[in-house]
Amino acid sequence: MLELRRETTSQIYAHAMKEFPNECCGAILTDGTKDCVRRCNNIQNERHAEDPATYPRDARTAYLMDPNDLIKIHREVDTKGTQIKAFYHSHPNEDAYFSDKDKTDATEPWGLPNYPDTVYVVISLYDRQINVARAYSWDDNAEDFVEVPINSVA
Amino acid sequence: MAVTVRIPTPLRKLTNDQAEVDAVGATIENIIENLESNYAGIKERICDEAGNIRRFVNIYLNDEDIRFLDGTTTTVSDGDEVSIIPAIAGGASV
Ligand SMILES: [Zn+2]
Repeated sequence: MLELRRETTSQIYAHAMKEFPNECCGAILTDGTKDCVRRCNNIQNERHAEDPATYPRDARTAYLMDPNDLIKIHREVDTKGTQIKAFYHSHPNEDAYFSDKDKTDATEPWGLPNYPDTVYVVISLYDRQINVARAYSWDDNAEDFVEVPINSVA
Repeated sequence: MAVTVRIPTPLRKLTNDQAEVDAVGATIENIIENLESNYAGIKERICDEAGNIRRFVNIYLNDEDIRFLDGTTTTVSDGDEVSIIPAIAGGASV
């Protein structure tokens, strides 16, 4: 189960709405009591423009977290003793499923979950209106990502 | 040059579950070779057949992505930290 404060949820929703019609991405860090949202750049459009053969999708249907943002998150985890509670991204004009691409990319390039203990939150929105968010994490028995309930707290 | 290398979770079975290991070498390429000599199989996880860093693998020297430095020929200094961190990516069904 993923426990999310309403304030955290509204922050990631605001990010998804801001980036619409592109996918947004980021992380939710926690020190055990307090969560904080770290918005990251989705650099999919840049990679798509440079190398469309390798990156056939643009940011409307894909995300690639800026590596510079990713290392900052790891540094914050190292220096402040926080943990990555969840990575989040949005699906503009799509439902909040965990897609085949979400699954393969989360296990690339070694066929194993890169973050077996971290939850992935997917935000569905249609025309800047939030639909729903759902959460997924790796399940060792199922050897697959499975949905985990989101518990919304004040 | 002696550096520490951060190992991502899926590769720790190659490093006896160590999240950080020591390595020596003058460049990132040398560091990867040195890792391979201690933890057989790690090089092919990081590099493709042509010796290029795999697409979903980010390698950082301290806080810099080596793509924006000199790639695998980037030189390292004593005490540097090298981090191997898989990319975070995905996308809706199309
Ligand atoms: Zn997705």
